[in-house]
Amino acid sequence: MNMNICVCIKQVPDTNRIKIDPVTNTLVRKGVPSIINPFDTYAVEMAAKLKEEYGGKVVVISMGPPQASKALKVCLSVGADEAYLISDRAFGGSDTLATGYILAGAIKKIEELEDLKFDLIFCGKQAIDGDTAQVGPQIAEQLGLAQATYALDVSCTNDHTIVKREVDGGYDTVLVQTPAVVTVVHTDQMPRYATYSTRSEAKKKQVHVLSSAELSELDLAQCGLSGSPTRVVNTYTPSVQKLGIMIEGSSTTELVDKLVGILDDKRLL
Amino acid sequence: MESYNTLNQEIIDELRAVSDHVLVGSAINPDYAKDEMPIYGTHMPDLVVQAHSTQEVSDVMKVCYKHSIPVTARGAGTGLAGGAVPIFGGVILDISPMNHLLGYDLENFVVNVEAGVLLKDLQDDCITKGLMYPPDPGMKYACLGGNVATNAGGMRAVKYGTTRDYVRAMTVVLANGEITHFGATVSKTSSGYSLLNLMIGSEGTLGIITELTLKIIPAPKATASIIVPFKDLKTALSAVPKFKMAHLDPQAIEFMETDIVDMTERFIGRSVFPKQCNGEDIHSYLLITLDGSSDEDLDEQIDQFSKVCFDNQAMEVFIAETPSQISNAWAARSAFYEAITDEIKMLDECDVVIPVNKIAEFIPFVNEIGAELGLDITCYGHAGDGNIHIYQCSNTMSPEEFEERNNKFFDVIYAKAVEYGGEVSGEHGIGNAKMKYLEESIGKTNVDLMEGIKRVFDPKMILNPGKVCHRL
Amino acid sequence: MMNTDIWIYIETENGKALNVGYELINAARPIAAQKNSKIVALVVGKNILKAAQDAIGYGADSAIILDADEYASYSTDAYAEAITYLINKYDPETMMFGATTNGRDMAPRIACRVSTGLTADCTDIGIDEASGCVRWTRPTFGGNLMADIICPERRPQMGTVRPGVFRKAEFDPTRKGNIIDETANIHIDPEHIRTKLLEHVDVVAEAVNLEDADVIVAGGRGIGSVDNIHLLEELADVTGGTVACSRPVAEAGWMNHNRQVGQSGKTVSPSVYFAIGISGAVQHTAGMQGSGTIIAINSDPEAPIFDIADYGIVGDLNAIVPALTKKLKERKL
Repeated sequence: MNMNICVCIKQVPDTNRIKIDPVTNTLVRKGVPSIINPFDTYAVEMAAKLKEEYGGKVVVISMGPPQASKALKVCLSVGADEAYLISDRAFGGSDTLATGYILAGAIKKIEELEDLKFDLIFCGKQAIDGDTAQVGPQIAEQLGLAQATYALDVSCTNDHTIVKREVDGGYDTVLVQTPAVVTVVHTDQMPRYATYSTRSEAKKKQVHVLSSAELSELDLAQCGLSGSPTRVVNTYTPSVQKLGIMIEGSSTTELVDKLVGILDDKRLL
Repeated sequence: MESYNTLNQEIIDELRAVSDHVLVGSAINPDYAKDEMPIYGTHMPDLVVQAHSTQEVSDVMKVCYKHSIPVTARGAGTGLAGGAVPIFGGVILDISPMNHLLGYDLENFVVNVEAGVLLKDLQDDCITKGLMYPPDPGMKYACLGGNVATNAGGMRAVKYGTTRDYVRAMTVVLANGEITHFGATVSKTSSGYSLLNLMIGSEGTLGIITELTLKIIPAPKATASIIVPFKDLKTALSAVPKFKMAHLDPQAIEFMETDIVDMTERFIGRSVFPKQCNGEDIHSYLLITLDGSSDEDLDEQIDQFSKVCFDNQAMEVFIAETPSQISNAWAARSAFYEAITDEIKMLDECDVVIPVNKIAEFIPFVNEIGAELGLDITCYGHAGDGNIHIYQCSNTMSPEEFEERNNKFFDVIYAKAVEYGGEVSGEHGIGNAKMKYLEESIGKTNVDLMEGIKRVFDPKMILNPGKVCHRL
Repeated sequence: MMNTDIWIYIETENGKALNVGYELINAARPIAAQKNSKIVALVVGKNILKAAQDAIGYGADSAIILDADEYASYSTDAYAEAITYLINKYDPETMMFGATTNGRDMAPRIACRVSTGLTADCTDIGIDEASGCVRWTRPTFGGNLMADIICPERRPQMGTVRPGVFRKAEFDPTRKGNIIDETANIHIDPEHIRTKLLEHVDVVAEAVNLEDADVIVAGGRGIGSVDNIHLLEELADVTGGTVACSRPVAEAGWMNHNRQVGQSGKTVSPSVYFAIGISGAVQHTAGMQGSGTIIAINSDPEAPIFDIADYGIVGDLNAIVPALTKKLKERKL
């Protein structure tokens, strides 16, 4: 049947290992490894599985600085056939609207270069640094495609895709017209390991770089800071100090009343 | 036979006068009665001091020495041989509050710590500075003092050696309360007997370690792990010596069979290792970590390791490159012990160490003996340095029957290990659990020497009595 | 003339409104007051008139409704198209959605369609003094870094806001407001709807899910016996929490190991963690010290748990926990 799938990945700092410097109150990024956004690894795994089942090509892309190539290379050893790095100074500082615009443009260009049409575009549900979950739907909007978010499983027929979508309390089974953008939560299986042979094959491949020169159809005014309607005006680390407040009282009733008062006040429950 | 006194109110008051952190009676947490292997016996202390400084330890020891009160030093209580269990009651000196990392001396590439610093905290702190404290015993929430007292080993020993190789100096409180220092921040020395090395592995019987100076190294630039499946354990183990023979230097080589992998995956609730390869069932794995000075070097290493694997009948080589895949694979390995203790009711453990080239014959022998005695045997361990963890398990026998068969098992297995040129304990220590086997394996002369040395350090024999070489 | 209205999207399911919409009406009131703006509730669904009327009772000044079969169940295409039409027609200044599954599905689509800025999953909103715009505050880097964001030029300024952060106002049945029915003005071509819900499956969570829990009620050795576990369960019930334990409790067999929090169990980071009868050994705290607010109840004043707790009570948990549960139950009614 052949499903051509484009997977968008992002290289992010491992936010589980990020600590806050108690003196300067800023993030300590030193020694924090860069990883492939975990949700994206599931997206790649899902694409690899579909390729095994239906045939087709899996292309992995990422918008980022040159070191994001490393992440793309790893994807080539776990199911991706080609990798593209979308990188240019002009793209830096993009918010989600600008990022969606650039990635959509890149996807169109890659379809030209690879001489194919993508049936599915996968993104991880959200990136663990930005945590917005907006880029997937915005790529879909830019490309005028249907979307299905929070996918747990995907299966395909000739002109439809069936997506098992995670919702509160359970899941929905949704029929989506192809081509479509799907954002992935996780797969049943853990993402596969590379094997010696898949890794050797991957080593032979190059990561293709697309800059603003290759993506000449992009309007640079819609990229980077100038293409970003949102602006960060302040960042700060949330207080990690533990309050250490001992609740005093002479009776159980008094203690409980005080505690409930605090729970209410601080809207904790 | 030594005679010890029991605590009375007067002595308790003397202790309270020198320490603000004294616990008696019901204030003593029941966990102080045991370590991680309660099967070797439990016993409550009469009093616990949670020490916050070397001076406090010294003052407490002076009181205990004066009154001949037995004292057992304790860190996090994660030992596996009963070493921290106060079998004579008396005082537990808990040094875990002494958990400050005192500072790095990067010119000499050492770090100074209080003995209560957790292994994990030091390892994590080093990583943030691009450094590495190589010893990597399985239990990360153990105190470094305990690590040193048992010469803890761990998975990186095959490349980096054991805790012993990383201790430069220490502050020790002797039985009579005197504070002294062993070692120095130097790489080599020939300056009298090595009291430092005597202390390492002495399991609290010669003195109490309160501070340490530990060697550190620059962290490797790039790391990857490979999971290598084999059709059976013998084939997997036969491959192990071939890596060093090919001049390769793996950071860690662990072996395991599918039984422990399945048990662990049930325990942690997710699947981590592939079970089939090219349509065939996998029965055994080697889990190997390699490091390199650069990405290119690591690449080269992966190629070379893979070649040795395939030359030795590996079914495949799975490569874990991303931090999450590497940590998942090793997290599973680190959970083996807990997975076993979660599922198995009757359990004992044998952590023999034998020459690397004998493991492939030894394990089948172990399985055979286990089967003869009706015990379920699970083995895994540090294939790279010959230190094997053998677990004798039963969910069906009565405790008495288990003990009987288990003892027979120990006798045969330890004897065989010694026959192969190995020793009784690779890394967990003797405690009181393995004393009989120590004497059987190294002989009376050597144990007499050890006990004699203890008498010099501790004339009243109050430090952790009844352990290691102190025969009762 | 720029419309200064603040639109609040009221998400509904089977005609019933989710709380988050009403919470956001209340969240918007201080901003509306300062900017002299009106709050308009936008309600889309089937049989949602009452939800719109209630929105006014909860503080909206007026409402716009779309009430038809094609909105009976959520679809990205129908909702995005309809709401975009309304935005283009009315030109609101600000628009807020609850950061629910569907909210986070449609809001980015709509924002892109009208080419404006959207800020996701906010935990606070206010006014940015310098620009006069809405200031959206949200967690990033897994909650390690907070960011204040504005959308200075494009309109509407859009944001999705986390449910449960704000409280809805007291319902005032006397409030009156206009309800505009726009249903007849929008015709969604069925060809435009490219997804179809085949079935919804409710899943009763078999697996204990501590990692996603927002409230955890954890018991330690101080619980004393398996007979006292019900104290934790009752508190968990009334707080919507999940029961958990420290290692000694799992080892004693009072609770299953899959509820164990700590170094050899799970690592959790709920908004609220009740540590009941837990001493606070590092092996346990390693698994929960990232919790938002830690409330410790222990009879031992020296227990190390108090070093990392936000609020601590020294006392008998057998008295305190049931009393707490009872008081919280009363509050709920």
